[in-house]
Amino acid sequence: MAAGGEPKKVKSAIPPKTMIAFGLIGGLIGVYAGHFLSDMFGPVLSFFGALGAICAIVWGADTVRRVCSYGIGTGVPSIGMLAIGIGIVAALFGLAVGGIAGPIIAVIVATILGLIIGLLGNRLMKMGVPIMETATAEIAAAGTITIIGISTAMAGTFEITGIIDNVIANGFIAVVFIVGAIAILHPFNANLGPDEKQDRTLSVAFIDGSIAMILAGIVVAGVSLASAVPAILIGLAIWLFAFAKYLGYVKRDAYKVVGTGLLPTEEELS
Amino acid sequence: MIDYVGLMADNLLYLLLIVVGGLLVAIGVHFVPVGGAPAAMGQATGVGTGTVQLAAGAGLTGLVTAAAVMRVADDMLLVIASGMVGAMIMIGSTMLVGNFMYIYGVGVTPASGKVKYDPITKDRQDLYLSQGTEGHGVPTSCYISGIIGGGLGGLGGAMVYFALLSVTNATTALNVIGLASILAVAIFFINAVIASYNIGGTTEGFIDPKFKRVPKAIVASIVVTFLSAIMSIIIIGGI
Repeated sequence: MAAGGEPKKVKSAIPPKTMIAFGLIGGLIGVYAGHFLSDMFGPVLSFFGALGAICAIVWGADTVRRVCSYGIGTGVPSIGMLAIGIGIVAALFGLAVGGIAGPIIAVIVATILGLIIGLLGNRLMKMGVPIMETATAEIAAAGTITIIGISTAMAGTFEITGIIDNVIANGFIAVVFIVGAIAILHPFNANLGPDEKQDRTLSVAFIDGSIAMILAGIVVAGVSLASAVPAILIGLAIWLFAFAKYLGYVKRDAYKVVGTGLLPTEEELS
Repeated sequence: MIDYVGLMADNLLYLLLIVVGGLLVAIGVHFVPVGGAPAAMGQATGVGTGTVQLAAGAGLTGLVTAAAVMRVADDMLLVIASGMVGAMIMIGSTMLVGNFMYIYGVGVTPASGKVKYDPITKDRQDLYLSQGTEGHGVPTSCYISGIIGGGLGGLGGAMVYFALLSVTNATTALNVIGLASILAVAIFFINAVIASYNIGGTTEGFIDPKFKRVPKAIVASIVVTFLSAIMSIIIIGGI
């Protein structure tokens, strides 16, 4: 039994279909905008890739909360790692064979891989999670767009040679891997429980996504210093806004918020 | 355009190695005693964290060890063996320190909740269980099981890494190292999660009744690793 409690279908103020549309369309638009705008106007605009990644991260986090509330038994982190594991293979494959259609091919491949793993999990290994097939396909696709989005923001292009030179050969792909995985798994892992609310969980997804964006900004400084500035500034702005929102939701959902003050001094204790 | 058929024909051996490596990772996870959140509170046998984290810790250490040895040696067996030993040392020290915590910190005796007698030491287990728990700590059988699991995981991870690194390609060594390592990590994680799904997140190793489910994980792992391996070879061979 997962820490989420009894298996149940979660209540979602925003329906899953809307989230899929937001993540898929927003993510792909971001990736393509990051690629073409940096082609036309220079790498300054590569931060659009990270914005696409944020859309995908929010979608992934929403899917994680839907599937994990059934109690998958293995802990929330495992599903985030699975998302990014499939994401790496599918993203690099799509970009390597697809050229300009790379991101779309990557998403299709990821969806198929995710469906297969979901089917194996539910039918062969008898996990008994009703939405396992579609959810695994969704998180795989979200993980793929996350990888491509962050990589595009770092390299200023999603052509495989550019990604290899600027993200993979110098090892930044490890950062992309873990920051993408954490961003997808952390929102629900941090908010799970009987009082979990969709808006609170997703606000953490925005926080994590903006951290990924700031990291992408730091890395893209190696390609061109000017392009680091907008990515870092916009990332910081999203982070501040999302964190303020999150704090508001915490105060709304908490029974009471009290300050504990500083630690008592030794004289006060005795 | 990439010559897919030729690429696969050239790298058939490596394709096989990747599938076997992924399979070993999936089997290895079944040996590692993980207790998840209950174990973190001393209420279940095993190390108190998730399967994936534990397998990743050991497997990635194995990968790093293999990669370090690869810098100075070109012998496939030596590289793979060092990956195996690296992972075994890592999982061994994790379980040892975990046991220190349970024994001296929590104050419980390592005992299994699944078997009455430890199959290796023949010690009675059920007398040492705290009421309402399913065991605690890492008893001898589980420890040995964990070492085997770490070894299999490291062996598999190192095999995948070595195979990916050896795929025929037209690019520089530095690019291939980056691609091979991140793809090896991805394949490692996919297999670790599949195995973790199969055992439902917690296990005591080979003494656990859930261990009988291994064949299901083998089928699932072969299917998924085969697909991932084909894609990985196309990625590395195609550039």
